[in-house]
Amino acid sequence: MQFGPSAASAIPKPASWPIWLILALAAAALGFWMHSAGLGYYLSMISRMMIYGLAACSLNLILGYGGLVSFGHAAYLGIGAYTVGILITEGMPNGWLGFALAMAVSALLALIIGAISLRTKGVYFIMITLAFAQMLFYLVNSVKAYGGDEGLNIKMRSDFGLGIVLKNDLHFFLLVLVCLVASLAFMHMLMRSRMGRIVLAQRDDDIRTEALGYPVYRYQLALFVIAGAIGGLAGALLVNQQNYVSPNLMHWTQSGVLMIMVILGGVGTLAGGLWGALLLLTLEDLIAEVTPHWQFYVGWVLLAVVLLAPKGLSGLPELWRRRRPSDPKPSGDGK
Amino acid sequence: MNASSTVLDIRNLVKSFGALRATDGVSLQVRPGEIHALIGPNGAGKTTLVAQLSGQLRPDEGQIVFMGQTINDVSAHQRVGLGMVRSFQITRLFKSFSVIDNVALAVQSLQSQRGSMWRSVAKDQAVYEKAAAVLKEVGLHGRADELAPALSHGEQRVLELALALATEPKLLLLDEPMAGAGPEESQRIVELIESLRRDKNMAILLVEHDMEAVFRLADRISVLVNGALIASGTPEEIRQDSQVRAAYLGDEVMS
Amino acid sequence: MTWILFLEQALNGLQFGLMLFLLASGLTLVFGIMDMINLAHGALYMVGAFLAAWLAQLTQSFVMGILLAIPLTALFGMAMESTLLRTLYARDHMSQVLATFSLILIINEAVRMIWGTDMPLAAPAALSGPVELLPGLYYPAYRLVIIAVGLVIAGLLYLAVTRTRVGAWVRAGASNREMAMAMGINIQRLFTLVFGLGAALCAVAGAMLGPLLAVQVGMGETVLILAFVVIVIGGIGSIWGAFVGSLLVGFVDTFGRTLMPALFREIFPPQVASAAGPAVASILVYLLMAVVLFLRPQGLFSRR
Repeated sequence: MQFGPSAASAIPKPASWPIWLILALAAAALGFWMHSAGLGYYLSMISRMMIYGLAACSLNLILGYGGLVSFGHAAYLGIGAYTVGILITEGMPNGWLGFALAMAVSALLALIIGAISLRTKGVYFIMITLAFAQMLFYLVNSVKAYGGDEGLNIKMRSDFGLGIVLKNDLHFFLLVLVCLVASLAFMHMLMRSRMGRIVLAQRDDDIRTEALGYPVYRYQLALFVIAGAIGGLAGALLVNQQNYVSPNLMHWTQSGVLMIMVILGGVGTLAGGLWGALLLLTLEDLIAEVTPHWQFYVGWVLLAVVLLAPKGLSGLPELWRRRRPSDPKPSGDGK
Repeated sequence: MNASSTVLDIRNLVKSFGALRATDGVSLQVRPGEIHALIGPNGAGKTTLVAQLSGQLRPDEGQIVFMGQTINDVSAHQRVGLGMVRSFQITRLFKSFSVIDNVALAVQSLQSQRGSMWRSVAKDQAVYEKAAAVLKEVGLHGRADELAPALSHGEQRVLELALALATEPKLLLLDEPMAGAGPEESQRIVELIESLRRDKNMAILLVEHDMEAVFRLADRISVLVNGALIASGTPEEIRQDSQVRAAYLGDEVMS
Repeated sequence: MTWILFLEQALNGLQFGLMLFLLASGLTLVFGIMDMINLAHGALYMVGAFLAAWLAQLTQSFVMGILLAIPLTALFGMAMESTLLRTLYARDHMSQVLATFSLILIINEAVRMIWGTDMPLAAPAALSGPVELLPGLYYPAYRLVIIAVGLVIAGLLYLAVTRTRVGAWVRAGASNREMAMAMGINIQRLFTLVFGLGAALCAVAGAMLGPLLAVQVGMGETVLILAFVVIVIGGIGSIWGAFVGSLLVGFVDTFGRTLMPALFREIFPPQVASAAGPAVASILVYLLMAVVLFLRPQGLFSRR
């Protein structure tokens, strides 16, 4: 008899590789088309949304799957961006070096911050992650050599050699796509692994997990570091996309924006962050055309989502199903 | 009685919270294949004692010796690896997991590379087979694929027990396993505990309020009142002990 | 550092700390009684400041501006609580964080739509001059008034919380909500009241600090973080903790900003000092919080 995780369990379902492949190829095709149709500007906008989507997905790893409400995730985005930005400014535009270093530095920072923060729980954890992010914000803000509060402009984008020219919208879009797909694939594998099961368990009940013999802290920390590294990757991409990075990227309100993307798209789903980023940024752009007060309307949308549709976009099918009276109510009480 | 013949040897354990001595010089042994019951009125300090044994609280004084090894400084999760596992008085299950996935997590704990990020859960046939076997043992096999919260309260208590069993313990710390379970489920749990002693020669420290179950199951009973043991012996001895009757049992149980 | 400068900074620290206390006391009670993280607390501070500025303009009187702003902000706060926030008590912390974060966006933008990005608010002319406290020590009269107001309110709060029946209920609710409910205290109504009081205190702080810090959209965010740091240091649910924490943060922050750069200039070469000094000063408060949490994870005076 074939055993495996039950369909009901929170463990992510196996990926349908054909569908992923088709989606990725379709996206690439879209990129090619837009580039050749002269829509390079819009392609660049989509790249930006995907980068934020990547950052939000990395947050979803610790927030959605891990159940750890970290309010300082934007710090890794910023550190990744600044690492690449500083290297380019200092005459080292090599993309392989820059990106690798961005991820390494973010991972190291996540290790330090996580090692301390994860010793606390509940609101204290939220506060201390927020505090660390603010500390980094102020530190970066005061380094005048790299722009201080005005931010850092970079003269050129990362150089990966091999004929890749990041200044070209299409090349850049494809790089972002590759990073996104690779990261999502990795996170998927992670959550379907043994470690993933432990992570999901400690989200439900960390004391029980510990009582079964698992050193929960270690797994939380490992998850934290991975999420930080992917956040750093997103940052490296972002500074290339904007040719600019400012300390504001690391402000706690930015962490709040990332959280909003996660909740819009679906907490605890693999690509929820991506959908949330696409939705939020598109919404912002659309409403901003009509009124400068787009934050007001977006705020209400978000509030509605939190209160009424807490699972975000991913929960909509379920919500829709529940509203139809012909469907039997989902059972759940064997009491 | 030397150290090697006991699974658990608690020596003069003391734990205070400010002025309150929750554990007042408690000494207790559990032998292999023995069910040692711990009873006492509410607030006597039973849960505090269990918490010190499982590693969630540090005793102020005294030693906890498990399989001949002093484990005071061994962390909670490591104790499980050594073979001491507890169940909880208030059900703690993984609500977003199915019944079999709950047990599978417990089984996984024993595997090498249990936390590997490279090993897919779907390929863990051995883990699932073991989990299914445990479920068969406790009679929950038919509910394997349902979400844990779908079980009745009594069934959840059984699952609670299954989780502990799946880690192949040498000593089971059962904290009121029958709390809140109906008569049918209580019966099931009692039979389960009996079969554990009979078939697996497992050592069990049983904290319970259900006197019928206690007198039926226990090889020895210790009575805890206000943090201190006032009596310890066979069920017959405890039944006769005047101090115990005065402090706790009352005449109701004697019928 | 001369004695004059030291005393001046000490007074600045006291002034800042007391205003922080007005914010933190409301926040810690909300958190303590209902276990709710309310990020929109800073928005109440901003609304109070804007209302005061607007009403001061209308009535041509600073004092009238504040006096009218206080009850209006309290009403706004209570309305917010009884409609939106109430649905959040049963939810997890993350939902509370996200929902109240959305409220910040809404309120910030709403204020911008009504009044614009900032509004002028000037202290009364009578208080614009310095007062000679000691020979050679001149201190702005307005700041002295802030200190006085802060101390008076702190004193009144202390009396209210320790000497009145309602205060006893509040303390009971803050340390153990279920127990308080079991004892027959109407937690819901008590809470709306506490929330309103917290909003009123925010308005006082916002209005009084307005002339010093500028009344502008977004002023709530900076001060909100500090308020949270205060209650984490002081212990959630404890007014006394909020008081001690506020003063600690007020002093550390103020002295840090003046001492750190000077200290660094003594030790390090000028390039390092000019960058590192202000940076370290900014993060001192967070370091303080990290140290406190490390030594006493539940805060200095936690009741849980």
